[in-house]
Amino acid sequence: MSIDVSGLTKTFPSTGSGRRGDFVALDDVSVSLPTGQLTALLGPSGGGKSTLLRIIAGLDTADTGTVTIEGTDATRLPPQKRNVGFVFQHYAVFKHMTVAKNVAFGLEIRKRPKAEIAERVDELLKLVHLSQFAHRLPSQLSGGQRQRMALARALAVEPSVLLLDEPFGALDAKVRKELREWLRRLHDEVAVTTVFVTHDQEEALEVADEIVVINEGRVEQVGTPDQLYDDPANDFVMSFLGEVTHLSGTVVRPHDIDVSTSPQFAGAVEGTVSRMLRVGFEVRLHVLTVDGEDVSVVMTRTHARSVGIREGSTVWLTVAAGATVVPSMRAASQVEMAG
Amino acid sequence: MVDVSAPTKWLLRLLAVGYVFFLVAWPVALVVKETFSDGLGNLVEALTDSQVTGALQLTLMVALWAVVINTLFGVGISLLLVRYEFPGKRMLSAMIDIPLSVSPVVVGLALLLVYNGRTGWFGPSIEEAGYQVIFDTPGMIMATCFVALPLVIREVVPVLHEIGDDQEQAARSLGANAPQTFWRITLPSIKWAVVYGVVLSLARSLGEFGAVKIVSGNITGRTQTATLVVEAKYQNFQQSTAYATSFLLIFVSIACLVVVAFLRPKHDS
Repeated sequence: MSIDVSGLTKTFPSTGSGRRGDFVALDDVSVSLPTGQLTALLGPSGGGKSTLLRIIAGLDTADTGTVTIEGTDATRLPPQKRNVGFVFQHYAVFKHMTVAKNVAFGLEIRKRPKAEIAERVDELLKLVHLSQFAHRLPSQLSGGQRQRMALARALAVEPSVLLLDEPFGALDAKVRKELREWLRRLHDEVAVTTVFVTHDQEEALEVADEIVVINEGRVEQVGTPDQLYDDPANDFVMSFLGEVTHLSGTVVRPHDIDVSTSPQFAGAVEGTVSRMLRVGFEVRLHVLTVDGEDVSVVMTRTHARSVGIREGSTVWLTVAAGATVVPSMRAASQVEMAG
Repeated sequence: MVDVSAPTKWLLRLLAVGYVFFLVAWPVALVVKETFSDGLGNLVEALTDSQVTGALQLTLMVALWAVVINTLFGVGISLLLVRYEFPGKRMLSAMIDIPLSVSPVVVGLALLLVYNGRTGWFGPSIEEAGYQVIFDTPGMIMATCFVALPLVIREVVPVLHEIGDDQEQAARSLGANAPQTFWRITLPSIKWAVVYGVVLSLARSLGEFGAVKIVSGNITGRTQTATLVVEAKYQNFQQSTAYATSFLLIFVSIACLVVVAFLRPKHDS
């Protein structure tokens, strides 16, 4: 195991007046992140995932618990001795240095020979497709280019782990998508143990080998994207990884509900279509059941037409065979759409 | 921007220019005019007067020491104030502004109370150890440091806030220790703020009068700085020398500001 974290707790003293108590960012977190893999720390904002990453990097210190990197106890090590690469959400570029100097920084600190530094910088700039910008200042680069430069800078020192804190969070949607695909390919090429923090489930599902879901300072579930999606440990994980709705005491995905205009199956729930919304190829239904639940259902346009559903029609809902369901933790009266 | 009618615009401009002209430009110009009323004669006379040249040298020495000390402490205290949390931080920040609000004469008296050789708190023991503070250069440097204390700090603190500590953290994660991070990352980022603070401190130190007059004892030829010479000459009816010395002080201060205006990049990015 490359990074072992055990029993980490971190509280931040409350700063605002009138606020009660301290803020618990991490509550007894233990997790092992495997060598050579791309792991995502996924969770809502303020859930503690960035704090965990910063503690692994040594940029924050935990109140209790230990951090082991590649078998060495790093709990008390200062950041410069941990040999981790860190990429910040807002790039943290060295504004007064050229792109090449930025990338060379870690090597110059390590007093490597000049020729070796030049060669390595060259190689890294090629890797991140910034060779032609070597002599520019960071202010002359776009956001995506700056982040690629920051990545090259972090990789330059050949870190044993690469940590990325919401690396694409400050970029626009299109660049973000490009960069995440690029990060996946880069990781397959360089194969350094990588951990990245994100609150975007699509990003995590698409890029990561393994996902750690963190919420309110605790680890909710650890697993591959498929495991998490197909076998969520609880309704939080399920609702965080995609849209969900509630049907007769279970949490289920809206596209996993079968709709028919006659009571074909035992246990089908009767309801009325209260709202019907078409978005491109899909149709979103809101069905008010006889039990008073508001269930949302997603189906293709073609399917909706063939069944003959329109607003006001009476339908019977069943959970599709093979669908992922978890028991609902909420009382039926509080049922509301999540996600 | 709100549109203002043309006459109002002109009236406002005239008011602003007139205000600065009558308050600053005209009086200063008159000093220059008096200096050169008989060509270079007044300047030559002043520069051959050993009382004046001695005072100028002393002023320069005191000002340079004060600037060096204030720059080192200023950058250090700025880092402390911006990057660290500690009890009493707000109090420290408030105390740094005291020199701006307290009259320099009061500063001089206060230093005198603590360091004078006969009844001061520390004075007698320091003097026994062989150092004279009051009525000598150390006291004058201390007084100058005191009055110019906030200038570097008030320039550097906002810049440190603005750049944040992202770059410093990145440097640390790349293997730089604290001194390396300071020299390679922090200092280049706050360079212009430091330069500006240094120039303001230098100008302020060269012109210090009240505090220095009290702690120096104003001993002619020994602890008299340029500003004190200006006063002494003026009261001795040697106005022309007073004007010439004043001109030199003005010249150095303006030269500092001009040099910085040229050195400073148009936009800091």
